[in-house]
Amino acid sequence: MKGKIFVRLAFTAGLFLLLTGEIFAHGTGYRHSQFEAVALEFMYSTGEAMSYREARVFSPNDEKFSYQSGRTDEKGRFAFVPDTPGKWRVIVRDEEGHQCTAEINITAENLNPKNEPQTHNQQSTILNSYEIFMRSLLGVSLIFNIALIIRRSHAH
Amino acid sequence: MHISEGILSGGVLALGWAGTVAGVSYGLKKTNPDRIIQTALISSAFFLASLVNIRIGPSSTHMTLLAPMGLILGHAVFPAVFTALLLQALLFGFGGILVLGVNTFVMASASLAVYVIFGRAIRESSGRTRVIVLSFMAGAFAVIIAAVIAGMFLIMTDSDFAGAVKILLIAHIPVAIVEGAVTSFLVIWLKRSVPEFLS
Repeated sequence: MKGKIFVRLAFTAGLFLLLTGEIFAHGTGYRHSQFEAVALEFMYSTGEAMSYREARVFSPNDEKFSYQSGRTDEKGRFAFVPDTPGKWRVIVRDEEGHQCTAEINITAENLNPKNEPQTHNQQSTILNSYEIFMRSLLGVSLIFNIALIIRRSHAH
Repeated sequence: MHISEGILSGGVLALGWAGTVAGVSYGLKKTNPDRIIQTALISSAFFLASLVNIRIGPSSTHMTLLAPMGLILGHAVFPAVFTALLLQALLFGFGGILVLGVNTFVMASASLAVYVIFGRAIRESSGRTRVIVLSFMAGAFAVIIAAVIAGMFLIMTDSDFAGAVKILLIAHIPVAIVEGAVTSFLVIWLKRSVPEFLS
Protein backbone atom coordinates (compact mmCIF):
# COMPACT_ATOMS: atom_id res chain seq x y z
CA MET A 1 0.00 0.00 0.00
CA LYS A 2 2.75 2.41 1.05
CA GLY A 3 4.84 1.54 -1.99
CA LYS A 4 1.86 2.31 -4.21
CA ILE A 5 1.39 5.68 -2.54
CA PHE A 6 5.01 6.66 -3.10
CA VAL A 7 4.91 5.56 -6.75
CA ARG A 8 1.72 7.59 -7.23
CA LEU A 9 3.23 10.65 -5.54
CA ALA A 10 6.48 10.35 -7.49
CA PHE A 11 4.50 10.07 -10.72
CA THR A 12 2.42 13.16 -9.84
CA ALA A 13 5.54 15.15 -8.92
CA GLY A 14 7.29 14.08 -12.14
CA LEU A 15 4.28 15.03 -14.22
CA PHE A 16 4.06 18.39 -12.45
CA LEU A 17 7.71 19.15 -13.17
CA LEU A 18 7.30 18.05 -16.78
CA LEU A 19 4.21 20.16 -17.37
CA THR A 20 5.54 23.31 -15.80
CA GLY A 21 8.33 23.24 -18.38
CA GLU A 22 10.15 26.23 -17.01
CA ILE A 23 12.41 25.11 -14.22
CA PHE A 24 15.38 27.12 -13.20
CA ALA A 25 17.33 27.98 -10.10
CA HIS A 26 16.98 31.51 -8.83
CA GLY A 27 20.51 31.70 -7.51
CA THR A 28 22.73 34.46 -8.78
CA GLY A 29 25.20 34.70 -11.63
CA TYR A 30 26.76 37.12 -14.07
CA ARG A 31 28.18 37.36 -17.54
CA HIS A 32 29.60 40.16 -19.64
CA SER A 33 26.79 41.90 -21.48
CA GLN A 34 27.15 41.89 -25.24
CA PHE A 35 25.11 45.10 -25.46
CA GLU A 36 26.74 48.47 -25.72
CA ALA A 37 26.46 50.68 -22.65
CA VAL A 38 26.23 54.46 -22.71
CA ALA A 39 28.72 55.85 -20.19
CA LEU A 40 28.57 59.53 -19.26
CA GLU A 41 30.54 61.83 -17.00
CA PHE A 42 28.82 64.58 -15.07
CA MET A 43 30.58 67.60 -13.66
CA TYR A 44 29.93 71.05 -12.25
CA SER A 45 30.90 74.15 -14.25
CA THR A 46 34.07 74.31 -12.14
CA GLY A 47 35.13 70.96 -13.56
CA GLU A 48 34.54 69.21 -10.25
CA ALA A 49 32.95 65.79 -10.71
CA MET A 50 29.34 65.32 -9.59
CA SER A 51 30.35 62.45 -7.31
CA TYR A 52 27.79 60.04 -5.85
CA ARG A 53 24.81 62.06 -7.09
CA GLU A 54 21.37 60.68 -7.79
CA ALA A 55 21.00 59.69 -11.47
CA ARG A 56 17.80 58.77 -13.29
CA VAL A 57 17.45 57.51 -16.85
CA PHE A 58 14.29 58.08 -18.92
CA SER A 59 13.64 56.08 -22.07
CA PRO A 60 11.94 57.58 -25.15
CA ASN A 61 8.95 55.31 -24.42
CA ASP A 62 8.27 56.58 -20.93
CA GLU A 63 8.94 60.15 -19.91
CA LYS A 64 7.27 59.76 -16.54
CA PHE A 65 8.75 56.69 -14.86
CA SER A 66 12.48 56.20 -14.88
CA TYR A 67 13.97 53.28 -16.80
CA GLN A 68 16.84 53.07 -14.35
CA SER A 69 18.05 54.94 -11.30
CA GLY A 70 21.19 54.93 -9.24
CA ARG A 71 24.15 57.12 -8.36
CA THR A 72 27.17 58.37 -10.18
CA ASP A 73 30.53 57.06 -9.05
CA GLU A 74 33.33 59.04 -7.41
CA LYS A 75 34.40 60.48 -10.78
CA GLY A 76 30.83 61.52 -11.66
CA ARG A 77 30.39 58.63 -14.12
CA PHE A 78 27.15 56.79 -14.79
CA ALA A 79 26.35 54.09 -17.34
CA PHE A 80 23.21 52.46 -18.66
CA VAL A 81 22.24 50.05 -21.44
CA PRO A 82 19.45 51.38 -23.69
CA ASP A 83 16.99 48.93 -25.19
CA THR A 84 15.15 51.06 -27.71
CA PRO A 85 16.13 53.69 -30.28
CA GLY A 86 15.25 57.34 -29.71
CA LYS A 87 16.15 60.21 -27.42
CA TRP A 88 17.19 59.10 -23.92
CA ARG A 89 17.51 61.49 -21.00
CA VAL A 90 19.80 61.10 -18.03
CA ILE A 91 19.17 63.49 -15.16
CA VAL A 92 21.75 63.87 -12.41
CA ARG A 93 21.02 66.10 -9.46
CA ASP A 94 22.46 66.88 -6.07
CA GLU A 95 20.83 67.72 -2.75
CA GLU A 96 21.40 71.45 -3.26
CA GLY A 97 19.24 71.68 -6.36
CA HIS A 98 21.93 71.48 -9.06
CA GLN A 99 20.77 69.43 -11.99
CA CYS A 100 22.31 68.32 -15.25
CA THR A 101 20.26 66.72 -18.04
CA ALA A 102 22.01 64.76 -20.76
CA GLU A 103 20.12 63.89 -23.93
CA ILE A 104 21.49 60.97 -25.93
CA ASN A 105 20.29 59.89 -29.36
CA ILE A 106 20.30 56.13 -29.70
CA THR A 107 20.03 54.57 -33.15
CA ALA A 108 19.01 51.00 -33.96
CA GLU A 109 22.66 50.25 -34.78
CA ASN A 110 23.71 51.12 -31.22
CA LEU A 111 21.40 48.42 -29.92
CA ASN A 112 23.00 45.52 -31.76
CA PRO A 113 24.95 43.20 -29.49
CA LYS A 114 28.71 43.16 -29.93
CA ASN A 115 30.01 39.93 -31.41
CA GLU A 116 33.16 39.89 -29.36
CA PRO A 117 34.69 36.55 -28.36
CA GLN A 118 34.33 35.76 -24.67
CA THR A 119 37.35 36.70 -22.63
CA HIS A 120 39.21 33.97 -20.75
CA ASN A 121 38.64 35.43 -17.32
CA GLN A 122 34.91 35.60 -17.91
CA GLN A 123 32.97 33.02 -15.98
CA SER A 124 29.31 32.34 -15.54
CA THR A 125 27.69 30.93 -12.43
CA ILE A 126 24.30 30.55 -14.11
CA LEU A 127 23.34 26.88 -14.16
CA ASN A 128 22.05 25.24 -17.30
CA SER A 129 19.04 22.89 -17.31
CA TYR A 130 21.19 19.75 -17.17
CA GLU A 131 23.14 21.01 -14.14
CA ILE A 132 19.91 22.01 -12.40
CA PHE A 133 18.43 18.57 -13.07
CA MET A 134 21.53 16.76 -11.79
CA ARG A 135 21.80 18.94 -8.70
CA SER A 136 18.09 18.44 -7.98
CA LEU A 137 18.57 14.69 -8.27
CA LEU A 138 21.60 14.86 -5.98
CA GLY A 139 19.65 16.93 -3.44
CA VAL A 140 16.72 14.50 -3.33
CA SER A 141 19.13 11.57 -3.08
CA LEU A 142 20.96 13.22 -0.18
CA ILE A 143 17.69 13.94 1.67
CA PHE A 144 16.67 10.27 1.46
CA ASN A 145 20.13 9.12 2.49
CA ILE A 146 20.08 11.42 5.52
CA ALA A 147 16.61 10.07 6.39
CA LEU A 148 17.82 6.48 6.14
CA ILE A 149 20.81 7.23 8.37
CA ILE A 150 18.52 8.82 10.98
CA ARG A 151 16.11 5.86 10.80
CA ARG A 152 18.95 3.39 11.18
CA SER A 153 20.33 5.27 14.20
CA HIS A 154 16.82 5.25 15.75
CA ALA A 155 16.60 1.48 15.17
CA HIS A 156 19.89 0.93 17.00
CA MET B 1 11.45 34.12 0.81
CA HIS B 2 15.14 33.36 1.27
CA ILE B 3 17.03 36.18 2.96
CA SER B 4 20.43 36.52 1.32
CA GLU B 5 23.81 36.34 2.99
CA GLY B 6 25.35 39.59 4.23
CA ILE B 7 22.13 41.44 5.04
CA LEU B 8 21.39 40.53 8.65
CA SER B 9 23.46 41.51 11.69
CA GLY B 10 25.44 38.98 13.74
CA GLY B 11 23.00 39.13 16.68
CA VAL B 12 20.00 38.47 14.44
CA LEU B 13 21.79 35.56 12.73
CA ALA B 14 22.59 34.07 16.15
CA LEU B 15 18.95 34.46 17.21
CA GLY B 16 17.82 32.65 14.07
CA TRP B 17 20.30 29.83 14.68
CA ALA B 18 19.20 29.50 18.32
CA GLY B 19 15.55 29.13 17.25
CA THR B 20 16.47 26.68 14.50
CA VAL B 21 18.69 24.50 16.69
CA ALA B 22 15.90 24.31 19.29
CA GLY B 23 13.29 23.55 16.61
CA VAL B 24 15.38 20.89 14.87
CA SER B 25 16.31 19.16 18.17
CA TYR B 26 12.69 19.16 19.32
CA GLY B 27 11.50 18.02 15.89
CA LEU B 28 13.96 15.11 15.76
CA LYS B 29 12.94 14.04 19.27
CA LYS B 30 9.23 14.11 18.41
CA THR B 31 9.52 12.47 14.98
CA ASN B 32 8.20 8.96 14.81
CA PRO B 33 10.96 6.78 13.23
CA ASP B 34 8.30 5.14 11.07
CA ARG B 35 7.55 8.50 9.47
CA ILE B 36 11.13 9.49 8.65
CA ILE B 37 10.85 8.39 5.01
CA GLN B 38 7.62 10.36 4.70
CA THR B 39 9.45 13.37 6.17
CA ALA B 40 12.19 12.91 3.56
CA LEU B 41 9.58 12.77 0.81
CA ILE B 42 7.99 16.05 1.91
CA SER B 43 11.42 17.63 2.43
CA SER B 44 12.30 16.65 -1.16
CA ALA B 45 9.07 18.19 -2.45
CA PHE B 46 9.92 21.43 -0.63
CA PHE B 47 13.50 21.30 -1.96
CA LEU B 48 12.23 20.92 -5.54
CA ALA B 49 9.28 23.31 -5.25
CA SER B 50 11.61 26.32 -5.14
CA LEU B 51 12.85 25.39 -8.62
CA VAL B 52 9.42 25.56 -10.20
CA ASN B 53 8.47 29.00 -11.36
CA ILE B 54 4.87 29.96 -11.83
CA ARG B 55 3.86 32.90 -13.96
CA ILE B 56 1.47 35.40 -12.39
CA GLY B 57 0.71 38.02 -15.04
CA PRO B 58 3.92 39.78 -16.02
CA SER B 59 5.73 38.52 -12.92
CA SER B 60 6.62 35.05 -11.63
CA THR B 61 6.99 33.35 -8.29
CA HIS B 62 7.87 29.94 -6.93
CA MET B 63 6.07 27.59 -4.62
CA THR B 64 6.96 27.13 -0.95
CA LEU B 65 4.43 24.44 0.11
CA LEU B 66 4.76 25.71 3.70
CA ALA B 67 1.20 24.85 4.72
CA PRO B 68 1.07 21.31 3.26
CA MET B 69 4.43 20.62 4.93
CA GLY B 70 3.14 21.77 8.30
CA LEU B 71 -0.11 19.82 7.96
CA ILE B 72 1.68 16.59 6.99
CA LEU B 73 4.79 16.75 9.15
CA GLY B 74 3.69 18.61 12.27
CA HIS B 75 6.67 18.90 14.64
CA ALA B 76 9.00 17.19 12.14
CA VAL B 77 8.81 20.25 9.92
CA PHE B 78 11.94 21.89 11.38
CA PRO B 79 14.38 19.08 10.43
CA ALA B 80 12.69 18.74 7.02
CA VAL B 81 12.98 22.46 6.22
CA PHE B 82 16.52 22.66 7.59
CA THR B 83 17.75 19.79 5.39
CA ALA B 84 16.07 21.14 2.26
CA LEU B 85 17.36 24.69 2.81
CA LEU B 86 20.87 23.45 3.57
CA LEU B 87 20.95 21.57 0.26
CA GLN B 88 19.41 24.52 -1.60
CA ALA B 89 22.19 26.74 -0.21
CA LEU B 90 24.94 24.25 -1.07
CA LEU B 91 23.69 23.15 -4.49
CA PHE B 92 21.96 26.26 -5.84
CA GLY B 93 23.29 29.15 -3.77
CA PHE B 94 19.84 30.12 -2.43
CA GLY B 95 20.13 32.09 0.80
CA GLY B 96 23.42 31.03 2.37
CA ILE B 97 24.99 29.04 5.17
CA LEU B 98 25.27 31.82 7.78
CA VAL B 99 21.70 32.91 7.18
CA LEU B 100 20.44 29.30 7.11
CA GLY B 101 19.34 29.51 10.75
CA VAL B 102 17.14 32.52 10.09
CA ASN B 103 15.73 31.14 6.83
CA THR B 104 14.90 27.80 8.48
CA PHE B 105 13.25 29.53 11.41
CA VAL B 106 11.21 31.81 9.11
CA MET B 107 9.76 28.98 7.03
CA ALA B 108 9.55 26.18 9.57
CA SER B 109 7.86 28.29 12.23
CA ALA B 110 5.25 29.43 9.66
CA SER B 111 4.62 25.76 8.78
CA LEU B 112 4.43 24.80 12.43
CA ALA B 113 1.97 27.64 13.09
CA VAL B 114 -0.27 26.22 10.35
CA TYR B 115 -0.12 22.79 11.99
CA VAL B 116 -1.00 24.20 15.41
CA ILE B 117 -3.79 26.52 14.22
CA PHE B 118 -5.36 24.64 11.29
CA GLY B 119 -4.14 21.02 11.64
CA ARG B 120 -6.88 19.64 13.84
CA ALA B 121 -9.70 21.58 12.15
CA ILE B 122 -8.64 20.35 8.69
CA ARG B 123 -8.17 16.75 9.85
CA GLU B 124 -11.57 16.61 11.53
CA SER B 125 -13.54 18.46 8.83
CA SER B 126 -15.50 16.30 6.46
CA GLY B 127 -17.42 18.85 4.35
CA ARG B 128 -15.61 19.52 1.07
CA THR B 129 -16.31 23.27 1.09
CA ARG B 130 -15.15 23.64 4.68
CA VAL B 131 -11.91 21.75 3.92
CA ILE B 132 -11.26 23.89 0.83
CA VAL B 133 -11.83 27.14 2.75
CA LEU B 134 -9.71 26.07 5.75
CA SER B 135 -6.88 24.79 3.52
CA PHE B 136 -6.91 27.96 1.45
CA MET B 137 -6.69 30.04 4.64
CA ALA B 138 -3.86 27.81 5.94
CA GLY B 139 -1.88 28.14 2.69
CA ALA B 140 -2.24 31.92 2.52
CA PHE B 141 -1.61 32.31 6.26
CA ALA B 142 1.68 30.37 6.06
CA VAL B 143 3.08 32.66 3.37
CA ILE B 144 2.01 35.86 5.11
CA ILE B 145 3.34 34.70 8.51
CA ALA B 146 6.67 33.70 6.94
CA ALA B 147 6.92 37.13 5.26
CA VAL B 148 6.09 38.84 8.57
CA ILE B 149 8.76 36.86 10.46
CA ALA B 150 11.32 37.55 7.71
CA GLY B 151 10.35 41.23 7.95
CA MET B 152 10.88 41.18 11.71
CA PHE B 153 14.39 39.81 11.29
CA LEU B 154 15.16 42.54 8.74
CA ILE B 155 13.80 45.31 10.98
CA MET B 156 15.71 43.89 13.98
CA THR B 157 18.86 44.32 11.89
CA ASP B 158 18.10 47.87 10.76
CA SER B 159 14.91 49.91 11.09
CA ASP B 160 15.67 51.39 7.65
CA PHE B 161 14.46 48.09 6.21
CA ALA B 162 10.86 49.09 7.10
CA GLY B 163 10.19 50.26 3.52
CA ALA B 164 11.63 47.07 2.04
CA VAL B 165 9.54 44.99 4.46
CA LYS B 166 6.37 46.75 3.29
CA ILE B 167 7.26 45.84 -0.31
CA LEU B 168 8.07 42.28 0.79
CA LEU B 169 4.63 41.89 2.37
CA ILE B 170 2.78 43.35 -0.62
CA ALA B 171 4.78 41.17 -3.03
CA HIS B 172 3.74 38.06 -1.10
CA ILE B 173 -0.02 38.67 -1.40
CA PRO B 174 -0.29 37.01 -4.85
CA VAL B 175 2.02 34.22 -3.62
CA ALA B 176 -0.31 33.71 -0.63
CA ILE B 177 -3.31 33.37 -2.97
CA VAL B 178 -1.51 30.83 -5.17
CA GLU B 179 -0.31 28.88 -2.12
CA GLY B 180 -3.82 28.91 -0.69
CA ALA B 181 -5.22 27.45 -3.91
CA VAL B 182 -2.45 24.82 -4.16
CA THR B 183 -2.90 23.86 -0.48
CA SER B 184 -6.67 23.42 -1.02
CA PHE B 185 -6.04 21.17 -4.00
CA LEU B 186 -3.40 19.12 -2.17
CA VAL B 187 -5.40 18.72 1.03
CA ILE B 188 -8.52 17.61 -0.87
CA TRP B 189 -6.38 15.10 -2.78
CA LEU B 190 -4.62 13.87 0.38
CA LYS B 191 -7.88 13.48 2.30
CA ARG B 192 -9.31 11.39 -0.52
CA SER B 193 -6.25 9.35 -1.55
CA VAL B 194 -3.92 9.11 1.47
CA PRO B 195 -5.75 10.42 4.52
CA GLU B 196 -3.13 8.85 6.82
CA PHE B 197 -0.68 11.53 5.64
CA LEU B 198 -2.71 14.11 7.57
CA SER B 199 -3.09 12.00 10.67
